[in-house]
Amino acid sequence: MSEVVLQEVAKHYGPAVVVQNMSLRIADGELISLLGPSGCGKTTTLRMIGGFVDATSGKITVGGRDVTGLPPNRRNMGFVFQNYALFPHMTIAQNVAFGLEMRKVNRADAEKKVQEALARVRLAQYADRLPKQLSGGQQQRVALARALVIEPDVLLLDEPLSNLDASLRQEMKIEIRQLQQSLGLTTIFVTHDQDEAMSTSDRMVLMYNGKVEQIGSPDELYNQPRSAFAARFLGVPNLLPGRIVQGSFEMEGGTALRLAGQKQLVGNCFLALRPEVIGISAEAVEGENNLSGTVEIMTYHGAAVEYQLRTDAGLTLTARAVAPGLGGPEVLPKGAKAWLHWPASAGVIVSEH
Amino acid sequence: MTDTVAEPARGAAPKGVAIRLGIPMLSAPAMILVALGLLLPLALMLRNSLNIYDPAELMISAFTLENYVKFFTDSFYQGVLWRTIWISALSTAICLIFGAPVAYFLARYVGDFAKRMLLIFILVPLLIGNAVRTSAWMLILNDHGVLAAILGFFGYEGELGLMYSAPGVVIGLVSVLLPFMIITLNSVFEAIDRNLEDAGLSLGANHVTIMRRIVLPLALPGILSGSVLCFILSMNAYATPVLIGGPTFHMMAPTVYQQIAKVMNWPFGAALSFILMAVTLCLTIWVSALVQRKYRKWSE
Amino acid sequence: MSGASANNTRWAYTLFSSLVIGFILLPLVFIVWMSFFSNKILSFPPQGYTLDWYTRAWELSDFRNGFFLSFRTSMIATLVALVLGLPASFALVRGRFAGRDLVNTLLMSPIVVPAIVGGSAIFVFFLEIEFLTGIQVAGSSLGLIMAHSLIALPWMIRLVTTSMISVNPSIEEAASSLGAGPLTIFFRITLPVIKPGVIAGSLFAFVNSFIDLEKSIFLVGPNSTTLQIALINYLEWNFDSTIGAVATVQISLITLLLLITDRYVKLSRAF
Repeated sequence: MSEVVLQEVAKHYGPAVVVQNMSLRIADGELISLLGPSGCGKTTTLRMIGGFVDATSGKITVGGRDVTGLPPNRRNMGFVFQNYALFPHMTIAQNVAFGLEMRKVNRADAEKKVQEALARVRLAQYADRLPKQLSGGQQQRVALARALVIEPDVLLLDEPLSNLDASLRQEMKIEIRQLQQSLGLTTIFVTHDQDEAMSTSDRMVLMYNGKVEQIGSPDELYNQPRSAFAARFLGVPNLLPGRIVQGSFEMEGGTALRLAGQKQLVGNCFLALRPEVIGISAEAVEGENNLSGTVEIMTYHGAAVEYQLRTDAGLTLTARAVAPGLGGPEVLPKGAKAWLHWPASAGVIVSEH
Repeated sequence: MTDTVAEPARGAAPKGVAIRLGIPMLSAPAMILVALGLLLPLALMLRNSLNIYDPAELMISAFTLENYVKFFTDSFYQGVLWRTIWISALSTAICLIFGAPVAYFLARYVGDFAKRMLLIFILVPLLIGNAVRTSAWMLILNDHGVLAAILGFFGYEGELGLMYSAPGVVIGLVSVLLPFMIITLNSVFEAIDRNLEDAGLSLGANHVTIMRRIVLPLALPGILSGSVLCFILSMNAYATPVLIGGPTFHMMAPTVYQQIAKVMNWPFGAALSFILMAVTLCLTIWVSALVQRKYRKWSE
Repeated sequence: MSGASANNTRWAYTLFSSLVIGFILLPLVFIVWMSFFSNKILSFPPQGYTLDWYTRAWELSDFRNGFFLSFRTSMIATLVALVLGLPASFALVRGRFAGRDLVNTLLMSPIVVPAIVGGSAIFVFFLEIEFLTGIQVAGSSLGLIMAHSLIALPWMIRLVTTSMISVNPSIEEAASSLGAGPLTIFFRITLPVIKPGVIAGSLFAFVNSFIDLEKSIFLVGPNSTTLQIALINYLEWNFDSTIGAVATVQISLITLLLLITDRYVKLSRAF
């Protein structure tokens, strides 16, 4: 069992609080991603788990074993660095063998394990090359193989895809996920890219300013962001300011919008609307929330048409409609008057922060 | 060291041709100073080394290798060369042993501001000049000096004997050369990705193993150039051997000065100069080749 | 890093480095301290403290005149290095011509050639000129200034080229496309941008000229002795705290100049 538990873990540099009392339980075999903008504390958290940074306070356990005071070389964790950190003066095989050597695995066993590890990342034929002779994607796989061959309790990945180009990133995303699942390895993955986090993780930890903003499955975070920050970070462009008055949402300026069932938030909050839930039509739609506005920008995306509209109240909203050729409505030109509408259940109320 | 010269601008200015011809010419005045002030005198000196010394005439024009032969047949001068070489090699080795950990410390454990201050501390003794620094060492090392007083305090009553001795000269040289070694190695260590050491740690290596297997192999070319620098500077050292070594402790540079300025045996002094430069060059090339071969073996 | 063993490693490095840096600084600390001793002959421990040695150092004409000669010579040498070094640096960084690397190497040669060998060569050269023409160069201030200009020049070029390399040539191209001529570009665009390098180069050139011993020793005359030569001449016959007083003045001056240099260019980049 290698369940990883963080209890009230914090990191202070002098007066600066980089990570604020963070508690987190990562189940055995789970892939969890730490997501957030730069400076949110996600990398520091990962480095504390890896042992490269001392926690100022709190406790970290792996499978019940307290590792808080242990140096990295006694934690048995695989760490994949953002820049891979392959030893430039060693061959691929020597790189992968290094951790086994440190564990005094006998030569024959080590050789076999290195071969297996390289085969697993499809690099067996490159064993005798030097890192610089490999492409970025291949170096990345060597880094993975090197981290995995020591049979770590936990795999830690620090922005492993950020140095790859878009198509490779897609490929590696799938590869990492498959490897992790086939090995059943507890994995913590740091990224600033919400797509990356969503497509790989069992759960996501959204961090902001050293604090956990929200934890949940990709689906939860996508559909139920709790705060304006979470909504924005997960790609919701439309946040309507206002507050809840007697079960409905009152926009600044007084317009009331219907909500589906929920929410007892007091004070100012936002109504978050994904572009694809907003419909556009010439007439207001009965039974939905309606706002009238003017098309300011129309951009064509093949399968969809994206509009930026200014409502009569002066808010700018983004809506995405299915392209006309795929059964969507007629394209509205710039300057056209239109109605924006969405069902009451499509809006999500998020807190201000 | 700034050997890298940036690629010049590609775009031609309106008066491109004139400018392109003009730009190299801008180095002409400086080149004239160096050519007249140093290169021509050196060339003359090379020529002088083939002349014959005469106590009355000073120098008789000739074309002979006599001065070089004299050096290699006179055991006194060979002794001077040997002493210079082993003193330099020893000082360099000591600088490496003591300088490398400091350079690593500055590269890995010290914040930016503190590092800047410490580097100034390390450089000030270098740039206060040989005369001042060496006289300070004389103050410490002489038999009635600071060190003797401190040892006396602990009950040591014997003669120190550090002045006018090889250990004294080595101490003096090490204190001049250490800053060079530290600064060179510091930039070498700083160029090594810290993540490599973290990667080693996460794979289970301890600090000693990481130094031996990862940091030192990667730093080797830089260690070599730092050592070469120290060795050359120490081969050419003048003030330390003269002031701390005294009149009977002979090394190459003071001997050159003696021959040129005191004995006025210019041909022999010139020959000594070129032997000093040639031996230094050959030794550096030899050691570099040796280390590089070894390095290649490591990386295999 | 975390854990007790990492902390031990850190402390081991800190302790070792403190000792080594202490060793490097040791002579400075003692010579400054000793300049205040009242002991007649330099010895340890102090019998009392006095400022008399400073007065005495000032009264000794060798030191006083030596200081002013050194100061003047180094100032002029720095100016020469500036006037010759700026255009040369420009040529090295912006010019593209055959033999550029050779020119660079030759301009650096005053640092590379052993100081005593360079000094010997210049000394013999000057004397040969004197034999041929009867003009005395060795021992004259002209000869001294020339030698010191040679010392100053490579440091100036090294620091100025370093800072010029980091200037994107496209800003000069931009000025050119806006109608500026080469001189205007240099004085209005390039020079202001590389100013830190020029200041640091000048200070560094000055310091290296000021502390020179190995070239000056050949070139000083009986009535024109630089401070460094005055120091070692004095050391030959005396060993008292006057040396300490002179050294303290020199240490203060140079430390000040280095601190100023460091404000403009990271000092360690000069090497």
